[in-house]
Amino acid sequence: MSAPLFKYGLFGDEISLIVAFVIGIGFGFFLERAGLGSARKLTAQFYLTDLSVFKVMFTAIVTAMLGLFYLSWAGWVDISLVYLSPTYLLPQLAGGLLLGLGFVIGGYCPGTSVVAVSTGALDAWLYLAGVMAGIFVFGEMFSSIGPFFYATDMGSLTIPDLIHLPYGVVVLGVVLLALGGFAGAGWVERLFAPPSRES
Amino acid sequence: MSSSSPALTAVATDEADTTRPAAYMNPYLAGVGLGLVLLAAFVVMGRGLGASGAFTSLTAIAVEAVAPEHTRANEFYAGYLERGVGHPLKTWLLFEVLGVLVGGFLSGALAGRVGRRIEKGPRAALGTRLALAFAGGALMGYGAKLARGCTSGQALSGGAVLNVGSWAFMLMVFAGAYALAWFVRRQWT
Amino acid sequence: MKRPFSYHPTMNQLLAGGALLLGALAVFGSPYRGPVARVNLRELARDVGVEADHVTAEQLADWILQQRADYRLLDLRDEAAWSEYHIPGAELVPMAKLIDYPLLRNETIVLYSDGGIHAAQGWFLLEAAGHKSVALLLGGLNAWKDEILFPVLAEDASAEQRAAFERARFVSEHFGGTPSVSGGTLETDRTPTPLPKTDMPVAPATPRARKRKAKEGC
Repeated sequence: MSAPLFKYGLFGDEISLIVAFVIGIGFGFFLERAGLGSARKLTAQFYLTDLSVFKVMFTAIVTAMLGLFYLSWAGWVDISLVYLSPTYLLPQLAGGLLLGLGFVIGGYCPGTSVVAVSTGALDAWLYLAGVMAGIFVFGEMFSSIGPFFYATDMGSLTIPDLIHLPYGVVVLGVVLLALGGFAGAGWVERLFAPPSRES
Repeated sequence: MSSSSPALTAVATDEADTTRPAAYMNPYLAGVGLGLVLLAAFVVMGRGLGASGAFTSLTAIAVEAVAPEHTRANEFYAGYLERGVGHPLKTWLLFEVLGVLVGGFLSGALAGRVGRRIEKGPRAALGTRLALAFAGGALMGYGAKLARGCTSGQALSGGAVLNVGSWAFMLMVFAGAYALAWFVRRQWT
Repeated sequence: MKRPFSYHPTMNQLLAGGALLLGALAVFGSPYRGPVARVNLRELARDVGVEADHVTAEQLADWILQQRADYRLLDLRDEAAWSEYHIPGAELVPMAKLIDYPLLRNETIVLYSDGGIHAAQGWFLLEAAGHKSVALLLGGLNAWKDEILFPVLAEDASAEQRAAFERARFVSEHFGGTPSVSGGTLETDRTPTPLPKTDMPVAPATPRARKRKAKEGC
């Protein structure tokens, strides 16, 4: 009945920073465990030789989605207090496209590049410098890009609300999608497995 | 986790990494671990994970140090400078990213994967790789701000709460990356 | 494979099976809380007691002037009253629709009605529904009219009061009101002043309005 703990005032802003640090440790740990601190492993995703990124990400999404669903169903978590960032469809589609291009060019995404830095990848430093340069360009362009940035505002919108299906049905749909995707991923990996091993 | 289990041998997707000190974890188990961390963030904080926001704070602070007037007049920077517990550096995401740095190192050190290196494909030239690392980062920094989040904040966190924008974003990330992959294949394969 | 004793599923099959089972079960549940509420009465009483639930007209005017976008302003009166006049940025939400109106539980919500009784009743409904930050406009729209739109300066006001009135005059004019100087008591010689048009360009409903909500994003 009283989670999210922070939103029910169980601790304050200062403590929340310590929580952030601890949660970050878990985040970084599992990213590295999965190999997502390596640009080669990350980009192998896009050459279909190793779909770990897809597997890790979708498993994490399914796990957190199921956990949140059941904790809310049981009444322990108030799901409406969990932050749902508003949807701005067009800028998010465009931003996603840019991110995808940058991903395969740069080899990391912002989170994984931090892991790469922590384990000694020097290129990840340059990548991060690039990220900040990109943010700087965005910031300087903000007044002109503003109208597009705020275009197609759909508010805080979930897929169940969009397609008018019960939340649980969409949860099942995502699980099935993920399991189908995993089966497909295994098949694709066997298909595109490199004939010879290179280190 | 339980690497002695016969189950894991069947899913060893990491044959290519046999030269590495330790094999990576079963991606599904790592995914469950990551998912539980994300769930913990939902339950404890009522919010998801993130990364690019931390670098936006750093950028805004850096720009403010150079041109304070200009920065405060900019709605975008000003929004980030207003954040934080008493100081724009004391934001949730920045502390989370510090944790990522520690957690990543911890896991890497335990597996013997820490060491100076530059990640690139065998055919890639060093200079090109470094230039592209910067260029790719810049594209991603720009894109992440346009999309209001990166793979952690939008795809992962938003995906788990079935956020429409996050799923649309995620599709486009994969579409963009696959569309361009062939053109930069010399960098990675 | 048929008999459970000879079947040893791999880790991945176990995970997949678990996910499938939980996914299938999810069809029968909902993560949202229904219209039946459990209320922590002591907590409510304490909030009322410390007046944590009040926003004065002056505070609200400041918020609007600052173009703050981290709150929702709900007008609980009927449509006729709303179209005659409403506070800039307010959303029309008739009382009966309040509970089903799309609001996030962690948004700051400011309620107002003419006097304040409806707002107070709406406050209780939203608190019971689990909203964490609901506030009343103190004195309702009547207070808004008296203090913000039509502030009156007594003729025998002190210098301090006059200085404060300059600010009130500015605010009033911003909202299209009519500040006035009274000869005697505040109420008697008050001529009926026209209410400002409601679609005047105050605190434009710009895209800015959602800016702060992105706070917890990546």
